[in-house]
Amino acid sequence: MSDFYEVTKIAETDKYATYDFFFGPNHPGMHGNFGYVCDVVGSTITRVRVNAGQLHRGFEKLMEQNLWFQNISLIPRICVPDPDPNEVAYCTAVERLMGIEIPIRAKFLRSLTLEMSRMTSLLMGMGALGAMMGLYSIMYRMMNERDRVLDFFEWLTGARIYHIYNLPGGVRRDLPEGFAAKLESLLDDMEYNLREWDSLLFENPVVHRRLKGIGKISADEAVNYGLVGPNLRATGFTADVRKDDPYAAYPFLDFHIITTEGGDALARAVQVRKEYEAAIQLIRKILEAMPGGEFKVYLGNPLKFTVPAGDTYARVESSKGEYGYYVVSNGGLKPYRISVRGPSLPAGLSLCHKHLPGMRIDDVAIWMASFSVCPPDFDR
Amino acid sequence: MARKLRKLLAGVTVNERYGNRMELVTDGQRAVSTLVVLKSSGFEHLSNITCVDWIDENRMDVTYNLWSYTHRLHAVIKAQTHRDAPEVSTALDIWPQAQVYEREIHEMFGVEFTGNPDLSPLFLHNWRDIPPLRKDFDTEEYSRRAYGVVDGVEEAGV
Amino acid sequence: MLKVSREEILDGKFERVLNFFRSRSLWMLYYCTGCGAVELPPTMTSRFDMERFGIGPMATPRQADILLVTGYVSVKTLKRIVRSYEQMPEPKWVVGFGSCPVNGGIYWKSYATINQLDRYIPVDLSLNGCMPRPQAVIDGFVNLMEMIKKGEAVGYKKYRLNYEWYKRNQAEVLERTEPVLRPGIASVAKAQETKKKISIVEGVK
Repeated sequence: MSDFYEVTKIAETDKYATYDFFFGPNHPGMHGNFGYVCDVVGSTITRVRVNAGQLHRGFEKLMEQNLWFQNISLIPRICVPDPDPNEVAYCTAVERLMGIEIPIRAKFLRSLTLEMSRMTSLLMGMGALGAMMGLYSIMYRMMNERDRVLDFFEWLTGARIYHIYNLPGGVRRDLPEGFAAKLESLLDDMEYNLREWDSLLFENPVVHRRLKGIGKISADEAVNYGLVGPNLRATGFTADVRKDDPYAAYPFLDFHIITTEGGDALARAVQVRKEYEAAIQLIRKILEAMPGGEFKVYLGNPLKFTVPAGDTYARVESSKGEYGYYVVSNGGLKPYRISVRGPSLPAGLSLCHKHLPGMRIDDVAIWMASFSVCPPDFDR
Repeated sequence: MARKLRKLLAGVTVNERYGNRMELVTDGQRAVSTLVVLKSSGFEHLSNITCVDWIDENRMDVTYNLWSYTHRLHAVIKAQTHRDAPEVSTALDIWPQAQVYEREIHEMFGVEFTGNPDLSPLFLHNWRDIPPLRKDFDTEEYSRRAYGVVDGVEEAGV
Repeated sequence: MLKVSREEILDGKFERVLNFFRSRSLWMLYYCTGCGAVELPPTMTSRFDMERFGIGPMATPRQADILLVTGYVSVKTLKRIVRSYEQMPEPKWVVGFGSCPVNGGIYWKSYATINQLDRYIPVDLSLNGCMPRPQAVIDGFVNLMEMIKKGEAVGYKKYRLNYEWYKRNQAEVLERTEPVLRPGIASVAKAQETKKKISIVEGVK
């Protein structure tokens, strides 16, 4: 076994040339508890099987056992980095079934928490993308920024990660004194820091070389596969739930849909950064235009709360894409059926069979991070 | 739009709802042809495939949620099948992502999708009971028997 | 019920020196098993720096000391956790993070998550909260370091002494051969028929 050429020739013809590679659950490059079982030849993947279900909690069955108001404490836990779209989608669906309108200040408060949550999730996404390539300083800086926004969440709602702030009929509390002024100064800080991170992440030749060409997809194919959110907008297709199917305060706000051309991982990274900047500016507009008034509609005793029979589908734009809740009610105290549509299901479970064969194993983590595949929302 | 669809599809009930939503009710055999017609009329985006178990009326509804980017309309298609032997043909040829949804519904409800090559279990490990999301499956009792329940602890003298 | 003999705990002076050094450099297996894992990056990064206590992340179980079970444990995850735990060399410790490993937490009614982690793996320390703040995590780790220094954290010895009991509990969950709810009836149609017969006989619903 001394000649390298001889060894590689043996490896190619040997029956053990193909091996099973568990890009598995216990892996620092994997987001959450999820695995791909890949058939690998040398260092190139030939076939992929999905090993999902480690995060399965049976949410849809659990939600049928609780009252309508009790589900609100379960619902944020479906999507871990970005929990607010869950609450807003559930409350929108319930309010639509009941046929009530919430006050305008509550709509603006909902949009405020949604945009702040989008900022934290995009920061974590950018940090994860940097960490997958080995640039850990990006991860540290982004996590630090994210913690400062989580402090504001704690001031407003009482908890850092799972806010449980929205309920059918409005929001739970009003803005505290001095919140708007301090948030504005934090936003100024974040815009200043953004220039430093551009030079860290985007003017780095290593990043350009590793991200170029990974996971290239065209707009028609992306729509056919069901991709949503920044992944779809990075192929040049203009689609945003906030404009197409408006909810909360978005009909009253003035903003543009951002797209990038390209369709590969570099375009998606640039798209995430542009959306982050747009989220900062949108929060400024929301704080300026915040109206006065009530923040909640009182809906009676929560223990005896019933919803008229019917079904509806409410969709919300989260940082990863379209978050959908299909709620069916038969007029009782508990929901009859709730089905959750997680935004990373097409990318993580279906597109992998098309993209991963032919890729090297070093690029799998980057592919996952660039598509923002987050396993809790399809494992539920 | 609803009028155009009513002309194209025979035997399918089309209802219009508030705003930009409509609802179509059909049965298991005609589900796929309805979907093909809808996709060619502009509903390019499949949001969700799910299933609702109406145990009292002895039927299961396989529900498709579609969205059209061009017309900004949402459509809910309910394909009704019988509860004891539910069977629908697959939507895999229309949208490739449907394969994952159908695999999950097969595991959770027991619905057969004819034409789907891979319906192996996706989420559950070594599952021996009836499909868990059906209405006659008692999840609290299962959790009690399989995993045990921890009683409360007295504060003093533990 | 679980045997840990007195001699195992009070070992001798050399063990005390070793415990002092072990508690100062614990390496944590970086395996995010559940939803509690989102509070781990803030704990490890620059704001609530965990590395000043000597605790750092480690990718492989063969070189790790602590297995941090963050949050709920589903059946598939339990299989992987047991394997990772058995791959770790002794001495090793398990920290249950959140209220889900203690008694099932918010998902106790679920058919897919286990309710009490202590039956399958010996847990040395539990942090409660849903989920615990980074300050609570660091406080828990400092407590663990104290316990190790005194020699009280002996979960791995419990595992070795009561191996058959743990294995029996694990096999009950992981290698099930019969249905749980209606033993002997494994098909849908028969289950419905039986349910109808029972409801007619008992006159209920």
